[in-house]
Amino acid sequence: MSDTNVLPRRLPLPAALRRWNITVGALILTVVVAAALLAPWIAPYDPFRMASGPRLSPPTAAHWFGTDELGRDLFSRVLLGARASLGIGLAAVAAGLAFGVSFGLAIAFSPARLKGFFLRIVDVIYSFPDTLLALALVAFLGPGAENATLAIAISLIPFYARVTYGLAAVERAKPYVEAAEIAGNGVPRIMRVQVLPNILQSLIVIGSIGFSSAILSAAGLSFLGLGVQPPSPEWGSILASGRNYIARAPWILIFPGVAICLTVLSFNLIGDGIRDLTDPKNRHRRA
Amino acid sequence: MLTFVARRLLTAAITILVVVFLAGVLIHLVPGDPITAMLAQSGNASAVDIARLTEQYGLDKPVWQQALLYVGNVLQGDLGTTIRGNEPVAPLLLGRLPNTIILAVAGLGTALALGIPMGVIAAVNRGRAADFAVMLIAILGVSIPGFWMGLTFIQFFSLHLGWFPVAGTSARNIVLPALTLGIVHSALVARMTRSALVDILNEDYIRTARAKGLRESEVLMVHAMRPAMISIITVVGLVFAHLLGGQVITENVFSWNGIGRLAIQAMLQRDYPLVQGFIVIFATSIVLVTTALDLLYGLLDPRVRRR
Repeated sequence: MSDTNVLPRRLPLPAALRRWNITVGALILTVVVAAALLAPWIAPYDPFRMASGPRLSPPTAAHWFGTDELGRDLFSRVLLGARASLGIGLAAVAAGLAFGVSFGLAIAFSPARLKGFFLRIVDVIYSFPDTLLALALVAFLGPGAENATLAIAISLIPFYARVTYGLAAVERAKPYVEAAEIAGNGVPRIMRVQVLPNILQSLIVIGSIGFSSAILSAAGLSFLGLGVQPPSPEWGSILASGRNYIARAPWILIFPGVAICLTVLSFNLIGDGIRDLTDPKNRHRRA
Repeated sequence: MLTFVARRLLTAAITILVVVFLAGVLIHLVPGDPITAMLAQSGNASAVDIARLTEQYGLDKPVWQQALLYVGNVLQGDLGTTIRGNEPVAPLLLGRLPNTIILAVAGLGTALALGIPMGVIAAVNRGRAADFAVMLIAILGVSIPGFWMGLTFIQFFSLHLGWFPVAGTSARNIVLPALTLGIVHSALVARMTRSALVDILNEDYIRTARAKGLRESEVLMVHAMRPAMISIITVVGLVFAHLLGGQVITENVFSWNGIGRLAIQAMLQRDYPLVQGFIVIFATSIVLVTTALDLLYGLLDPRVRRR
Protein backbone atom coordinates (compact mmCIF):
# COMPACT_ATOMS: atom_id res chain seq x y z
CA MET A 1 0.00 0.00 0.00
CA SER A 2 2.88 2.26 -0.79
CA ASP A 3 1.52 4.27 -3.66
CA THR A 4 -1.63 6.35 -3.60
CA ASN A 5 -1.71 7.05 -7.30
CA VAL A 6 -3.65 3.93 -8.17
CA LEU A 7 -6.76 5.24 -9.80
CA PRO A 8 -8.56 2.32 -11.36
CA ARG A 9 -11.67 3.13 -13.35
CA ARG A 10 -13.88 0.46 -14.83
CA LEU A 11 -13.57 -3.16 -13.93
CA PRO A 12 -14.98 -5.77 -16.34
CA LEU A 13 -15.28 -9.06 -14.48
CA PRO A 14 -14.65 -11.56 -17.33
CA ALA A 15 -11.46 -9.72 -18.28
CA ALA A 16 -10.47 -9.71 -14.62
CA LEU A 17 -10.74 -13.46 -14.34
CA ARG A 18 -8.54 -13.92 -17.39
CA ARG A 19 -5.62 -12.45 -15.46
CA TRP A 20 -3.73 -15.20 -13.69
CA ASN A 21 -3.02 -13.17 -10.55
CA ILE A 22 -6.64 -12.27 -9.94
CA THR A 23 -7.72 -15.88 -10.52
CA VAL A 24 -5.07 -17.36 -8.21
CA GLY A 25 -5.70 -14.70 -5.57
CA ALA A 26 -9.45 -15.25 -5.69
CA LEU A 27 -8.99 -19.03 -5.42
CA ILE A 28 -6.77 -18.76 -2.34
CA LEU A 29 -9.08 -16.19 -0.77
CA THR A 30 -12.13 -18.41 -1.37
CA VAL A 31 -10.43 -21.27 0.49
CA VAL A 32 -9.43 -19.00 3.40
CA VAL A 33 -12.89 -17.42 3.65
CA ALA A 34 -14.54 -20.86 3.49
CA ALA A 35 -12.20 -22.08 6.24
CA ALA A 36 -13.08 -19.09 8.39
CA LEU A 37 -16.84 -19.44 7.86
CA LEU A 38 -16.97 -23.21 8.28
CA ALA A 39 -14.31 -23.47 11.02
CA PRO A 40 -16.64 -24.61 13.85
CA TRP A 41 -18.05 -27.41 11.69
CA ILE A 42 -14.91 -28.68 9.98
CA ALA A 43 -12.49 -28.35 12.89
CA PRO A 44 -11.83 -31.93 14.05
CA TYR A 45 -11.20 -30.90 17.69
CA ASP A 46 -12.16 -28.15 20.11
CA PRO A 47 -9.41 -25.58 19.47
CA PHE A 48 -9.34 -24.65 23.18
CA ARG A 49 -9.26 -28.19 24.59
CA MET A 50 -5.89 -29.10 26.02
CA ALA A 51 -4.53 -32.60 25.57
CA SER A 52 -6.63 -33.30 22.48
CA GLY A 53 -3.59 -35.35 21.63
CA PRO A 54 -0.04 -35.79 22.90
CA ARG A 55 1.93 -32.57 23.46
CA LEU A 56 4.02 -31.26 20.55
CA SER A 57 3.00 -34.14 18.34
CA PRO A 58 4.22 -33.82 14.73
CA PRO A 59 1.59 -33.85 11.97
CA THR A 60 -0.19 -37.22 11.92
CA ALA A 61 -3.38 -38.64 10.45
CA ALA A 62 -5.22 -37.69 13.65
CA HIS A 63 -3.66 -34.22 13.91
CA TRP A 64 -3.01 -32.89 10.39
CA PHE A 65 -0.97 -29.89 11.53
CA GLY A 66 0.35 -31.56 14.72
CA THR A 67 -0.36 -30.33 18.24
CA ASP A 68 0.98 -27.41 20.26
CA GLU A 69 2.74 -27.19 23.63
CA LEU A 70 -0.53 -27.84 25.48
CA GLY A 71 -1.63 -30.70 23.26
CA ARG A 72 -4.20 -28.56 21.44
CA ASP A 73 -4.97 -29.53 17.84
CA LEU A 74 -3.11 -27.06 15.62
CA PHE A 75 -5.30 -27.62 12.54
CA SER A 76 -8.40 -26.62 14.51
CA ARG A 77 -6.61 -23.60 15.96
CA VAL A 78 -5.36 -22.40 12.58
CA LEU A 79 -8.87 -22.81 11.14
CA LEU A 80 -10.42 -20.76 13.91
CA GLY A 81 -7.53 -18.31 13.66
CA ALA A 82 -8.72 -17.50 10.12
CA ARG A 83 -11.89 -16.09 11.71
CA ALA A 84 -9.93 -13.80 13.99
CA SER A 85 -7.53 -12.57 11.31
CA LEU A 86 -10.17 -12.03 8.61
CA GLY A 87 -12.59 -10.59 11.18
CA ILE A 88 -10.10 -8.01 12.40
CA GLY A 89 -9.11 -7.25 8.81
CA LEU A 90 -12.70 -6.81 7.67
CA ALA A 91 -13.73 -4.67 10.63
CA ALA A 92 -10.63 -2.49 10.42
CA VAL A 93 -10.91 -2.00 6.65
CA ALA A 94 -14.64 -1.22 6.88
CA ALA A 95 -14.18 1.33 9.65
CA GLY A 96 -11.01 2.80 8.13
CA LEU A 97 -12.67 3.04 4.73
CA ALA A 98 -15.81 4.70 6.13
CA PHE A 99 -13.87 7.38 7.99
CA GLY A 100 -11.15 7.74 5.38
CA VAL A 101 -13.67 8.22 2.57
CA SER A 102 -15.64 10.75 4.62
CA PHE A 103 -12.50 12.74 5.43
CA GLY A 104 -11.26 12.53 1.85
CA LEU A 105 -14.58 13.80 0.48
CA ALA A 106 -14.76 16.53 3.10
CA ILE A 107 -11.23 17.70 2.24
CA ALA A 108 -11.98 17.70 -1.49
CA PHE A 109 -15.03 19.90 -0.92
CA SER A 110 -13.55 22.18 1.72
CA PRO A 111 -12.57 25.80 0.96
CA ALA A 112 -9.17 26.20 -0.71
CA ARG A 113 -7.42 27.56 2.37
CA LEU A 114 -8.54 24.80 4.71
CA LYS A 115 -7.83 22.20 2.05
CA GLY A 116 -4.09 22.82 2.13
CA PHE A 117 -4.04 22.64 5.91
CA PHE A 118 -6.02 19.38 6.10
CA LEU A 119 -3.99 17.78 3.32
CA ARG A 120 -0.78 18.66 5.12
CA ILE A 121 -2.00 16.93 8.30
CA VAL A 122 -3.08 13.83 6.39
CA ASP A 123 0.28 13.77 4.61
CA VAL A 124 2.21 14.09 7.87
CA ILE A 125 0.38 11.12 9.39
CA TYR A 126 0.55 9.20 6.11
CA SER A 127 4.33 9.52 6.02
CA PHE A 128 4.53 7.11 8.96
CA PRO A 129 4.21 3.41 8.25
CA ASP A 130 0.82 2.05 9.27
CA THR A 131 2.30 -0.70 11.45
CA LEU A 132 4.07 1.94 13.52
CA LEU A 133 0.88 4.00 13.74
CA ALA A 134 -1.18 1.00 14.87
CA LEU A 135 1.52 0.07 17.38
CA ALA A 136 1.59 3.58 18.86
CA LEU A 137 -2.19 3.71 19.15
CA VAL A 138 -2.59 0.28 20.72
CA ALA A 139 0.09 1.18 23.26
CA PHE A 140 -2.25 3.77 24.70
CA LEU A 141 -5.59 2.08 24.06
CA GLY A 142 -4.31 -1.06 25.77
CA PRO A 143 -3.81 -4.61 24.42
CA GLY A 144 -6.75 -6.69 23.17
CA ALA A 145 -8.54 -7.71 19.97
CA GLU A 146 -11.00 -4.78 19.94
CA ASN A 147 -8.35 -2.17 20.61
CA ALA A 148 -6.04 -3.68 18.01
CA THR A 149 -8.88 -3.54 15.46
CA LEU A 150 -9.54 0.08 16.36
CA ALA A 151 -5.85 0.98 16.12
CA ILE A 152 -5.48 -0.73 12.73
CA ALA A 153 -8.65 0.99 11.48
CA ILE A 154 -7.30 4.40 12.52
CA SER A 155 -3.92 3.61 10.98
CA LEU A 156 -5.66 2.99 7.62
CA ILE A 157 -7.60 6.28 7.64
CA PRO A 158 -4.82 8.53 6.26
CA PHE A 159 -4.27 6.19 3.29
CA TYR A 160 -7.96 5.98 2.45
CA ALA A 161 -8.46 9.72 2.99
CA ARG A 162 -5.55 10.53 0.68
CA VAL A 163 -6.78 8.25 -2.10
CA THR A 164 -10.38 9.41 -1.78
CA TYR A 165 -9.27 13.01 -1.90
CA GLY A 166 -7.39 12.34 -5.14
CA LEU A 167 -10.39 10.67 -6.73
CA ALA A 168 -12.95 13.19 -5.45
CA ALA A 169 -10.88 16.21 -6.47
CA VAL A 170 -10.91 14.95 -10.07
CA GLU A 171 -14.68 14.42 -9.97
CA ARG A 172 -15.31 17.78 -8.37
CA ALA A 173 -13.82 19.57 -11.35
CA LYS A 174 -16.19 17.82 -13.76
CA PRO A 175 -19.21 19.61 -15.26
CA TYR A 176 -21.80 17.31 -13.69
CA VAL A 177 -20.82 18.45 -10.21
CA GLU A 178 -21.06 22.05 -11.30
CA ALA A 179 -24.47 21.31 -12.79
CA ALA A 180 -25.60 19.77 -9.51
CA GLU A 181 -24.37 22.85 -7.66
CA ILE A 182 -26.26 25.17 -10.02
CA ALA A 183 -29.37 23.00 -9.60
CA GLY A 184 -29.21 24.00 -5.94
CA ASN A 185 -28.00 20.77 -4.32
CA GLY A 186 -26.17 21.11 -1.01
CA VAL A 187 -22.56 19.96 -0.70
CA PRO A 188 -23.32 16.89 1.47
CA ARG A 189 -25.91 15.74 -1.06
CA ILE A 190 -23.52 16.23 -3.97
CA MET A 191 -20.87 14.21 -2.14
CA ARG A 192 -23.26 11.37 -1.39
CA VAL A 193 -25.45 11.23 -4.49
CA GLN A 194 -23.18 12.53 -7.25
CA VAL A 195 -19.52 11.94 -6.37
CA LEU A 196 -19.53 8.84 -4.16
CA PRO A 197 -21.22 6.50 -6.70
CA ASN A 198 -18.70 7.62 -9.31
CA ILE A 199 -15.66 6.73 -7.23
CA LEU A 200 -17.16 3.72 -5.47
CA GLN A 201 -15.67 1.15 -7.80
CA SER A 202 -12.18 2.54 -7.34
CA LEU A 203 -12.67 2.58 -3.60
CA ILE A 204 -13.53 -1.13 -3.54
CA VAL A 205 -10.20 -1.86 -5.20
CA ILE A 206 -8.38 0.38 -2.74
CA GLY A 207 -10.13 -1.54 0.03
CA SER A 208 -8.42 -4.76 -1.06
CA ILE A 209 -5.02 -3.05 -0.77
CA GLY A 210 -5.73 -2.01 2.83
CA PHE A 211 -6.77 -5.58 3.66
CA SER A 212 -3.35 -7.12 3.23
CA SER A 213 -1.72 -4.51 5.42
CA ALA A 214 -4.49 -4.81 8.05
CA ILE A 215 -3.99 -8.58 8.31
CA LEU A 216 -0.21 -8.20 8.56
CA SER A 217 -0.61 -5.56 11.29
CA ALA A 218 -3.11 -7.72 13.18
CA ALA A 219 -0.77 -10.71 13.13
CA GLY A 220 2.17 -8.54 14.16
CA LEU A 221 0.31 -6.93 17.07
CA SER A 222 -0.97 -10.29 18.31
CA PHE A 223 2.52 -11.75 18.02
CA LEU A 224 3.85 -8.95 20.24
CA GLY A 225 1.11 -9.65 22.80
CA LEU A 226 -0.76 -6.43 22.02
CA GLY A 227 -3.56 -7.87 19.89
CA VAL A 228 -5.67 -11.01 20.30
CA GLN A 229 -4.89 -12.45 23.72
CA PRO A 230 -4.20 -16.14 24.39
CA PRO A 231 -5.80 -18.66 24.58
CA SER A 232 -7.91 -17.25 21.69
CA PRO A 233 -6.42 -18.56 18.46
CA GLU A 234 -5.18 -15.97 16.00
CA TRP A 235 -2.31 -16.67 13.62
CA GLY A 236 -0.01 -14.14 15.24
CA SER A 237 -0.85 -15.22 18.78
CA ILE A 238 -0.41 -18.93 17.93
CA LEU A 239 3.10 -18.06 16.71
CA ALA A 240 3.77 -16.03 19.86
CA SER A 241 2.82 -18.81 22.25
CA GLY A 242 4.61 -21.44 20.18
CA ARG A 243 7.83 -19.49 19.60
CA ASN A 244 9.68 -21.16 22.47
CA TYR A 245 9.01 -24.61 21.04
CA ILE A 246 10.06 -24.06 17.44
CA ALA A 247 13.26 -26.09 17.88
CA ARG A 248 11.34 -29.24 18.84
CA ALA A 249 8.13 -28.55 16.98
CA PRO A 250 8.71 -26.54 13.78
CA TRP A 251 5.15 -27.29 12.66
CA ILE A 252 3.86 -24.75 15.21
CA LEU A 253 5.89 -22.22 13.26
CA ILE A 254 5.09 -23.41 9.74
CA PHE A 255 1.30 -23.74 9.54
CA PRO A 256 0.07 -20.43 11.06
CA GLY A 257 2.83 -18.57 9.18
CA VAL A 258 1.89 -20.11 5.85
CA ALA A 259 -1.74 -19.23 6.59
CA ILE A 260 -0.82 -15.55 7.05
CA CYS A 261 1.37 -15.53 3.94
CA LEU A 262 -1.28 -17.12 1.71
CA THR A 263 -4.02 -14.79 2.91
CA VAL A 264 -1.93 -11.65 2.48
CA LEU A 265 -0.66 -12.97 -0.86
CA SER A 266 -4.22 -13.47 -2.12
CA PHE A 267 -5.12 -9.83 -1.42
CA ASN A 268 -1.86 -8.61 -2.95
CA LEU A 269 -2.39 -10.72 -6.09
CA ILE A 270 -5.94 -9.45 -6.52
CA GLY A 271 -4.88 -5.85 -5.89
CA ASP A 272 -1.98 -6.15 -8.35
CA GLY A 273 -4.12 -7.78 -11.00
CA ILE A 274 -6.76 -5.09 -10.79
CA ARG A 275 -4.11 -2.42 -10.94
CA ASP A 276 -2.58 -3.97 -14.10
CA LEU A 277 -6.02 -4.18 -15.60
CA THR A 278 -6.94 -0.58 -14.95
CA ASP A 279 -3.56 1.09 -15.44
CA PRO A 280 -3.78 3.02 -18.74
CA LYS A 281 -0.05 2.44 -19.29
CA ASN A 282 -0.70 -1.29 -19.68
CA ARG A 283 -3.64 -0.91 -22.00
CA HIS A 284 -1.73 -1.51 -25.22
CA ARG A 285 -0.35 -4.77 -23.85
CA ARG A 286 -3.72 -6.22 -23.05
CA ALA A 287 -5.18 -6.45 -26.55
CA MET B 1 18.22 26.48 -4.26
CA LEU B 2 18.42 28.29 -0.91
CA THR B 3 14.68 28.90 -0.75
CA PHE B 4 14.15 25.25 -1.62
CA VAL B 5 16.38 24.12 1.25
CA ALA B 6 14.82 26.62 3.65
CA ARG B 7 11.31 25.56 2.72
CA ARG B 8 12.06 21.86 3.13
CA LEU B 9 13.73 22.44 6.51
CA LEU B 10 10.79 24.53 7.71
CA THR B 11 8.32 21.85 6.63
CA ALA B 12 10.39 19.24 8.44
CA ALA B 13 10.49 21.33 11.65
CA ILE B 14 6.72 21.87 11.56
CA THR B 15 6.10 18.18 10.88
CA ILE B 16 8.21 17.19 13.87
CA LEU B 17 6.38 19.70 16.09
CA VAL B 18 3.00 18.35 14.97
CA VAL B 19 4.10 14.78 15.70
CA VAL B 20 5.42 15.70 19.14
CA PHE B 21 2.13 17.46 19.86
CA LEU B 22 0.18 14.37 18.76
CA ALA B 23 2.43 12.18 20.94
CA GLY B 24 1.48 14.45 23.83
CA VAL B 25 -2.22 14.10 23.04
CA LEU B 26 -2.01 10.28 22.78
CA ILE B 27 -2.00 9.87 26.54
CA HIS B 28 -5.67 10.88 26.53
CA LEU B 29 -6.49 7.73 24.58
CA VAL B 30 -5.79 5.69 27.71
CA PRO B 31 -9.13 4.40 28.97
CA GLY B 32 -9.89 5.85 32.39
CA ASP B 33 -7.26 7.83 34.27
CA PRO B 34 -3.77 7.43 32.75
CA ILE B 35 -2.00 8.02 36.06
CA THR B 36 -3.99 5.30 37.85
CA ALA B 37 -3.34 2.95 34.92
CA MET B 38 0.39 3.69 35.06
CA LEU B 39 0.65 3.32 38.81
CA ALA B 40 -1.36 0.10 38.78
CA GLN B 41 1.82 -1.55 37.51
CA SER B 42 3.97 -0.37 40.37
CA GLY B 43 1.50 -1.26 43.14
CA ASN B 44 1.42 0.93 46.23
CA ALA B 45 0.68 4.50 45.17
CA SER B 46 -0.64 7.11 47.53
CA ALA B 47 -3.08 9.90 46.71
CA VAL B 48 -0.14 12.30 47.00
CA ASP B 49 1.75 10.40 44.29
CA ILE B 50 -1.27 10.53 42.02
CA ALA B 51 -1.71 14.26 42.54
CA ARG B 52 2.01 14.89 41.98
CA LEU B 53 2.09 12.89 38.73
CA THR B 54 -1.18 14.39 37.48
CA GLU B 55 0.36 17.82 37.89
CA GLN B 56 3.71 16.76 36.46
CA TYR B 57 2.08 15.49 33.24
CA GLY B 58 -0.30 18.46 33.14
CA LEU B 59 -3.29 16.12 33.11
CA ASP B 60 -5.24 18.58 35.29
CA LYS B 61 -5.06 21.04 32.38
CA PRO B 62 -7.05 21.03 29.10
CA VAL B 63 -5.78 18.64 26.41
CA TRP B 64 -4.12 21.28 24.25
CA GLN B 65 -2.33 22.90 27.19
CA GLN B 66 -1.09 19.54 28.39
CA ALA B 67 0.15 18.64 24.89
CA LEU B 68 1.85 22.04 24.52
CA LEU B 69 3.53 21.44 27.87
CA TYR B 70 4.82 18.16 26.46
CA VAL B 71 6.08 19.89 23.29
CA GLY B 72 7.83 22.52 25.45
CA ASN B 73 9.54 19.83 27.52
CA VAL B 74 10.63 17.88 24.46
CA LEU B 75 12.10 21.02 22.90
CA GLN B 76 14.22 21.36 26.02
CA GLY B 77 15.37 17.77 25.61
CA ASP B 78 13.17 16.47 28.42
CA LEU B 79 11.14 13.41 27.45
CA GLY B 80 9.92 12.81 31.01
CA THR B 81 10.76 9.94 33.36
CA THR B 82 9.81 6.29 33.19
CA ILE B 83 7.08 4.98 35.47
CA ARG B 84 9.09 1.93 36.41
CA GLY B 85 12.43 2.95 37.85
CA ASN B 86 11.78 6.69 37.54
CA GLU B 87 14.65 7.05 35.06
CA PRO B 88 14.86 9.91 32.56
CA VAL B 89 13.47 8.69 29.23
CA ALA B 90 15.74 10.59 26.82
CA PRO B 91 19.12 9.03 27.83
CA LEU B 92 17.50 5.60 28.06
CA LEU B 93 16.27 5.79 24.47
CA LEU B 94 19.34 7.55 23.09
CA GLY B 95 21.52 4.85 24.63
CA ARG B 96 19.71 2.26 22.52
CA LEU B 97 19.70 4.45 19.40
CA PRO B 98 23.09 3.25 18.02
CA ASN B 99 21.93 -0.39 18.02
CA THR B 100 18.74 0.59 16.23
CA ILE B 101 20.61 2.68 13.65
CA ILE B 102 23.12 -0.11 12.97
CA LEU B 103 20.36 -2.62 12.32
CA ALA B 104 18.32 -0.16 10.22
CA VAL B 105 21.31 0.70 8.04
CA ALA B 106 22.26 -2.98 7.65
CA GLY B 107 18.65 -3.82 6.75
CA LEU B 108 18.37 -0.94 4.29
CA GLY B 109 21.71 -1.85 2.71
CA THR B 110 20.58 -5.45 2.28
CA ALA B 111 17.25 -4.32 0.82
CA LEU B 112 19.01 -2.13 -1.77
CA ALA B 113 21.70 -4.72 -2.55
CA LEU B 114 19.01 -7.33 -3.27
CA GLY B 115 16.25 -5.11 -4.64
CA ILE B 116 18.08 -2.94 -7.20
CA PRO B 117 19.63 -5.86 -9.18
CA MET B 118 16.29 -7.67 -9.05
CA GLY B 119 14.50 -4.62 -10.44
CA VAL B 120 17.12 -4.16 -13.18
CA ILE B 121 16.87 -7.81 -14.24
CA ALA B 122 13.07 -7.53 -14.38
CA ALA B 123 13.09 -4.27 -16.36
CA VAL B 124 15.66 -5.45 -18.92
CA ASN B 125 13.75 -8.69 -19.46
CA ARG B 126 10.37 -7.04 -19.40
CA GLY B 127 7.55 -9.44 -20.26
CA ARG B 128 9.85 -12.47 -20.23
CA ALA B 129 10.29 -15.30 -17.74
CA ALA B 130 12.94 -13.49 -15.67
CA ASP B 131 10.62 -10.50 -15.23
CA PHE B 132 7.80 -12.78 -14.16
CA ALA B 133 10.05 -14.62 -11.69
CA VAL B 134 11.34 -11.42 -10.09
CA MET B 135 7.86 -9.96 -9.78
CA LEU B 136 6.63 -13.21 -8.27
CA ILE B 137 9.43 -13.12 -5.68
CA ALA B 138 8.61 -9.46 -5.01
CA ILE B 139 4.92 -10.11 -4.38
CA LEU B 140 5.80 -13.06 -2.14
CA GLY B 141 8.22 -10.76 -0.31
CA VAL B 142 5.57 -8.19 0.56
CA SER B 143 3.21 -10.97 1.68
CA ILE B 144 5.51 -12.59 4.24
CA PRO B 145 5.30 -11.10 7.75
CA GLY B 146 8.80 -10.06 8.84
CA PHE B 147 8.46 -11.61 12.28
CA TRP B 148 7.56 -14.97 10.79
CA MET B 149 10.49 -14.89 8.40
CA GLY B 150 12.69 -14.02 11.38
CA LEU B 151 11.40 -16.96 13.42
CA THR B 152 11.91 -19.26 10.42
CA PHE B 153 15.51 -18.05 10.08
CA ILE B 154 16.12 -18.69 13.78
CA GLN B 155 14.63 -22.15 13.48
CA PHE B 156 16.72 -23.07 10.44
CA PHE B 157 20.01 -21.17 10.69
CA SER B 158 20.39 -20.92 14.47
CA LEU B 159 18.68 -23.96 15.94
CA HIS B 160 18.95 -26.45 13.08
CA LEU B 161 22.30 -25.55 11.51
CA GLY B 162 23.77 -23.74 14.50
CA TRP B 163 25.39 -21.05 12.34
CA PHE B 164 24.26 -18.05 14.34
CA PRO B 165 23.39 -17.39 17.98
CA VAL B 166 19.64 -17.35 18.67
CA ALA B 167 19.52 -13.94 20.32
CA GLY B 168 21.60 -11.01 21.43
CA THR B 169 23.25 -7.86 20.15
CA SER B 170 26.63 -8.38 18.52
CA ALA B 171 28.34 -8.30 15.12
CA ARG B 172 27.60 -12.01 14.55
CA ASN B 173 24.01 -11.56 15.59
CA ILE B 174 23.18 -8.85 13.10
CA VAL B 175 23.21 -11.17 10.06
CA LEU B 176 19.78 -12.75 10.54
CA PRO B 177 17.78 -9.63 11.57
CA ALA B 178 19.42 -7.58 8.80
CA LEU B 179 18.64 -10.33 6.29
CA THR B 180 15.03 -10.50 7.53
CA LEU B 181 14.48 -6.75 7.17
CA GLY B 182 16.42 -6.66 3.92
CA ILE B 183 14.53 -9.46 2.18
CA VAL B 184 11.11 -8.16 3.21
CA HIS B 185 11.86 -4.65 2.00
CA SER B 186 13.86 -5.61 -1.11
CA ALA B 187 10.50 -6.44 -2.71
CA LEU B 188 9.48 -2.78 -2.56
CA VAL B 189 12.87 -1.65 -3.92
CA ALA B 190 12.70 -4.17 -6.76
CA ARG B 191 9.24 -3.03 -7.84
CA MET B 192 10.18 0.65 -7.76
CA THR B 193 13.46 0.07 -9.61
CA ARG B 194 11.67 -1.93 -12.27
CA SER B 195 8.97 0.65 -12.88
CA ALA B 196 11.48 3.55 -12.96
CA LEU B 197 13.74 1.69 -15.39
CA VAL B 198 10.91 0.47 -17.63
CA ASP B 199 9.83 4.09 -18.16
CA ILE B 200 13.38 5.24 -18.84
CA LEU B 201 14.12 2.44 -21.31
CA ASN B 202 11.22 3.71 -23.43
CA GLU B 203 12.75 7.20 -23.67
CA ASP B 204 14.03 8.58 -26.96
CA TYR B 205 17.56 9.16 -25.69
CA ILE B 206 17.93 5.46 -24.95
CA ARG B 207 17.02 4.72 -28.57
CA THR B 208 19.59 7.31 -29.62
CA ALA B 209 22.23 5.68 -27.43
CA ARG B 210 21.48 2.31 -28.96
CA ALA B 211 21.40 3.78 -32.46
CA LYS B 212 24.87 5.22 -32.11
CA GLY B 213 26.11 1.70 -31.48
CA LEU B 214 26.72 1.58 -27.74
CA ARG B 215 26.83 -1.83 -26.17
CA GLU B 216 23.65 -2.75 -24.29
CA SER B 217 25.57 -2.81 -20.99
CA GLU B 218 26.77 0.74 -21.60
CA VAL B 219 23.28 1.92 -22.49
CA LEU B 220 22.02 0.39 -19.28
CA MET B 221 24.74 1.44 -16.87
CA VAL B 222 25.51 4.93 -18.21
CA HIS B 223 22.32 6.19 -19.81
CA ALA B 224 19.54 4.39 -18.00
CA MET B 225 20.79 3.72 -14.48
CA ARG B 226 21.81 7.30 -13.71
CA PRO B 227 18.36 8.85 -14.09
CA ALA B 228 16.87 5.72 -12.51
CA MET B 229 19.00 6.26 -9.40
CA ILE B 230 17.19 9.55 -8.82
CA SER B 231 13.84 7.74 -8.62
CA ILE B 232 15.40 5.05 -6.44
CA ILE B 233 16.66 7.65 -3.95
CA THR B 234 13.11 8.88 -3.33
CA VAL B 235 12.08 5.30 -2.72
CA VAL B 236 14.82 4.88 -0.14
CA GLY B 237 13.00 7.31 2.17
CA LEU B 238 9.78 5.35 1.86
CA VAL B 239 11.57 2.04 2.39
CA PHE B 240 13.39 3.45 5.42
CA ALA B 241 10.11 4.51 7.04
CA HIS B 242 8.56 1.11 6.42
CA LEU B 243 11.71 -0.58 7.59
CA LEU B 244 11.60 1.24 10.92
CA GLY B 245 8.04 -0.04 11.36
CA GLY B 246 9.17 -3.59 10.70
CA GLN B 247 12.26 -3.11 12.80
CA VAL B 248 10.26 -2.80 16.03
CA ILE B 249 8.97 -6.35 15.58
CA THR B 250 12.27 -7.70 14.22
CA GLU B 251 14.20 -6.40 17.22
CA ASN B 252 11.78 -8.30 19.44
CA VAL B 253 12.06 -11.53 17.47
CA PHE B 254 15.88 -11.49 17.65
CA SER B 255 16.14 -9.87 21.12
CA TRP B 256 18.18 -7.08 19.52
CA ASN B 257 18.78 -4.42 22.14
CA GLY B 258 17.41 -1.46 20.24
CA ILE B 259 14.72 1.12 20.81
CA GLY B 260 12.03 -1.10 19.30
CA ARG B 261 12.57 -3.83 21.87
CA LEU B 262 12.51 -1.29 24.69
CA ALA B 263 9.33 0.24 23.25
CA ILE B 264 7.42 -3.04 23.21
CA GLN B 265 8.46 -3.75 26.81
CA ALA B 266 7.25 -0.25 27.70
CA MET B 267 3.95 -0.86 25.90
CA LEU B 268 3.32 -4.13 27.72
CA GLN B 269 4.16 -2.43 31.05
CA ARG B 270 2.08 0.68 30.26
CA ASP B 271 5.08 2.92 30.70
CA TYR B 272 3.51 5.77 28.73
CA PRO B 273 6.29 8.40 28.93
CA LEU B 274 8.71 5.82 27.48
CA VAL B 275 6.26 4.98 24.67
CA GLN B 276 5.80 8.68 23.90
CA GLY B 277 9.58 9.10 23.80
CA PHE B 278 9.83 6.17 21.38
CA ILE B 279 7.23 7.77 19.09
CA VAL B 280 9.04 11.13 19.19
CA ILE B 281 12.43 9.59 18.37
CA PHE B 282 11.18 7.27 15.62
CA ALA B 283 9.05 9.98 14.02
CA THR B 284 11.91 12.47 14.13
CA SER B 285 14.25 9.95 12.50
CA ILE B 286 11.77 9.30 9.71
CA VAL B 287 11.26 13.03 9.09
CA LEU B 288 15.01 13.74 9.14
CA VAL B 289 15.86 10.95 6.70
CA THR B 290 12.99 11.83 4.34
CA THR B 291 14.01 15.50 4.38
CA ALA B 292 17.68 14.70 3.78
CA LEU B 293 16.74 12.53 0.80
CA ASP B 294 14.41 15.24 -0.53
CA LEU B 295 17.28 17.72 -0.39
CA LEU B 296 19.57 15.25 -2.14
CA TYR B 297 16.89 14.71 -4.74
CA GLY B 298 16.65 18.46 -5.31
CA LEU B 299 20.42 18.61 -5.65
CA LEU B 300 20.45 15.86 -8.29
CA ASP B 301 17.38 16.94 -10.21
CA PRO B 302 17.00 20.70 -10.73
CA ARG B 303 13.37 20.33 -11.83
CA VAL B 304 12.33 19.42 -8.28
CA ARG B 305 13.61 22.67 -6.80
CA ARG B 306 11.32 24.83 -8.89
CA ARG B 307 8.12 23.24 -7.63
